[in-house]
Amino acid sequence: MKGIVKAFPGVIANNHVNLSVKAGEIHALLGENGAGKTTLMNILYGLYQADSGSVYWKGEKVHFHSPLDAIAAGIGMVHQHFTLIPTMTVLQNIILGLKEKGYPFIKITEITESIQALAKRYGLAVDVKKRVCELSVGEQQRVEILKALYRGAELLVLDEPTAVLTPQETCEFFEVLRRLKSEGHAVILITHRMAEIMAISDRVTILRDGSDLAVMNTQDTDPASLAKLMIGSELPERPVIEPHKGDAAPLLELKDIVVKKERISRLAISLQVYPGEIVGIAGVDGNGQKELAEVICGILSASQGTIQYDGQDITKATVYQRFRRGIAYISDDRHHDGLVLDMNLRQNLMLRKYKLSPYTKHGCLNRNKMDEFSSSCIGKYQIKPPSPGIKMRLLSGGNQQKAILAREISEEAKLIVACQPTRGLDIGATMQVRSILAEQRNRGAGILLISADLDEILSLSDRIAVLFRGQLMGVLDNGAELKTETIGSMMGGRPLAEGETTYA
Amino acid sequence: MRKYTVQVARALVYTGLTLAVATLLILGAGASPLQCAGVFIRGIFGSLNGFAEVLVKAAPLMLAGLGISIGFRSGFFNIGAEGQMYMGAIAATVVAMWPVQMPSWIHVTLAMAAAFLAGGLWAFIPGILKAKFGISEIINTLMLNYIAFDLTGILIRGVLQDSTDYLPQSPALGPELAGILAPTRLHAGFLLALLMVLIVWWLMEHTPTGFELQVVGSNKRAARCLGINVMKSIVIASCLGGGLAGIAGAGELLGIQHRLLEGLVGGSGYTAILVALLGRNNPWGVLAASIGFAALQVGANTMQRQMGIPAAIVSILTGFIVILLLCDALILKLIEKRKVEGAA
Repeated sequence: MKGIVKAFPGVIANNHVNLSVKAGEIHALLGENGAGKTTLMNILYGLYQADSGSVYWKGEKVHFHSPLDAIAAGIGMVHQHFTLIPTMTVLQNIILGLKEKGYPFIKITEITESIQALAKRYGLAVDVKKRVCELSVGEQQRVEILKALYRGAELLVLDEPTAVLTPQETCEFFEVLRRLKSEGHAVILITHRMAEIMAISDRVTILRDGSDLAVMNTQDTDPASLAKLMIGSELPERPVIEPHKGDAAPLLELKDIVVKKERISRLAISLQVYPGEIVGIAGVDGNGQKELAEVICGILSASQGTIQYDGQDITKATVYQRFRRGIAYISDDRHHDGLVLDMNLRQNLMLRKYKLSPYTKHGCLNRNKMDEFSSSCIGKYQIKPPSPGIKMRLLSGGNQQKAILAREISEEAKLIVACQPTRGLDIGATMQVRSILAEQRNRGAGILLISADLDEILSLSDRIAVLFRGQLMGVLDNGAELKTETIGSMMGGRPLAEGETTYA
Repeated sequence: MRKYTVQVARALVYTGLTLAVATLLILGAGASPLQCAGVFIRGIFGSLNGFAEVLVKAAPLMLAGLGISIGFRSGFFNIGAEGQMYMGAIAATVVAMWPVQMPSWIHVTLAMAAAFLAGGLWAFIPGILKAKFGISEIINTLMLNYIAFDLTGILIRGVLQDSTDYLPQSPALGPELAGILAPTRLHAGFLLALLMVLIVWWLMEHTPTGFELQVVGSNKRAARCLGINVMKSIVIASCLGGGLAGIAGAGELLGIQHRLLEGLVGGSGYTAILVALLGRNNPWGVLAASIGFAALQVGANTMQRQMGIPAAIVSILTGFIVILLLCDALILKLIEKRKVEGAA
């Protein structure tokens, strides 16, 4: 790809970017959110058309009008969000949209065999007769890769492939990548995890602010210099957590809370959060974390139990009443729960406060005050691009998250429920979010930090609670003597024994 | 600048295509397209009456279109303006037949208020069903259209029938919306419609309620997570929309027909959906689209009267224009591509 330029309203996503990938290499594409990685790949895949510049494939200039052209040429893409149909089988998903020999009367057995052979060749073990909804995330990813390979992909583009995998699955996944490489396939790996780049890639191209800064051999570099190139400055320091301020009354107290969804109990929990502390909720995704966050914010109602907050019973309070009393919510699903993507940045920043004075006076919205507020948010949190009128959809993930933080966190926030606050963010943005949380804690806010990233929990929390199938396996004080294995086994469902409890 | 040229190119493409189809249709009807165009334009601008007639026909489209656009922006897909207009007209008839001595303007105001309430209540039914139980408002509003229409039929053969006559219609109603451009049929209902454009624009763009409606319309889930009362918003949107349609029906009754008839609304509740669509759910867009639609109808009626060309041609054109606009994204893409290739 040479001299690729692509502009969106208000942003130049790609500014004369060059990228070259050789057969049989794993090429990492590194950059912060909004650096233009995804745009570049969408151009390669024919989803977007470049404003200028050209794409060369096997030495020839090509122009892909749609993904169909790219697939026909031998380019396969696995998106961050999978594009499988859950109710169909693996086989059906793989041949979906293809007109196989004899179509519409295809020979299922032959196809099954050829897919199985393909799967075996690359070590992509998966049962082709199962429905996709029965598969784990790791297996679904394998199906996506198989799908691309079955369509004859010689170049695979993988967008943040490991974001959804457990460490063990990641290892297996790297095995597959090595196998692909040895068979002569080229792989473009979009990521911002340094360790992975060092472990698996041959070369790396670094993008920053829409331009390609450098191409280097992975073995000639190290994580620190890569990170520096990527964010354009030294890595921000790990946030400093001041010692816990001690023994005030609990800010939030969940007493025997039970949440049921479709008559199945998803959460049964008692928990306290004190002002000026971060309580980390560890656990494998889907063990009741989201229900916990939502029951505290009032989005879900508890079928049993009470919630005490700041000296009052808020079990029956509405979402809005709880927000007004200082409960801020950073949702794990920006696109659905946290933002209105079709509205602009200003409107999204105002979503919590639009009907409060001075933004609403005498029943009318005050545009000037709203502009002032959004400009100050944009300045304080360095949201890019800094134009309040831009559609939320056009912002990168990191900037969308900053907008949520800017909206939710203010002087009045006493309790911050942060659900996966750094999911999908790059290092720079992650560090920024973590230091904001630490700052808020040191200011005296109570924070419930729900995260699937154990490192995040360990580096920020005062206390750590482990959630398994909707129940607390125990609450631990965080400290140097805390063993990761203890938390690990609790995440797997072993409750903390009586004597082990370090926190009553 | 670039955006502007695309807009112009698009407008030219649409006008060109529409004119081409119109020419073909007129040739098919066995007449001269040029002569037709002359008659068509003279029908609209040739006389004061023709021009006033455009505004007369625009008023109900504008009011009902505004109501529908509020619903569309709030995620309430109201197909039921037709029925809400009939319910508005029924309520206005009842109030207007009320044999109490009072100044005419008060009587008309009361009748219009009753129409607003009746239309609003009629839309409240699908509104609450959607808000509380998630039942499809599209089917419900459509079904309520049949009920309202047939209810009108029953009433004007029963309690509301003119006792001095055998025709299925109400007695001539005393209170009426004042004429504003004698001797034409233009009446105060048109001014009311203009006022409503302003009010709806203000409501949607400058009040917290309008902001909430827009949030609910774009992302219900986020609205819920952020503490906006989604149920309340849907109910507000449905009732306001129904109320505006109710006024539209009462305007036809008290401004034009002065009797409740079966054909009183005559499909404008459905045309209003297109008005909202073409007006892109923007009040000013609805204003323009309703006048455009009304002009098409008036011009076509003149064509039919003077040259014997079926006015149905306009319905065909309307359908065509709507399809064109729904293909907007595609057409924009084609225009952009042309430009890119032209530049290369």
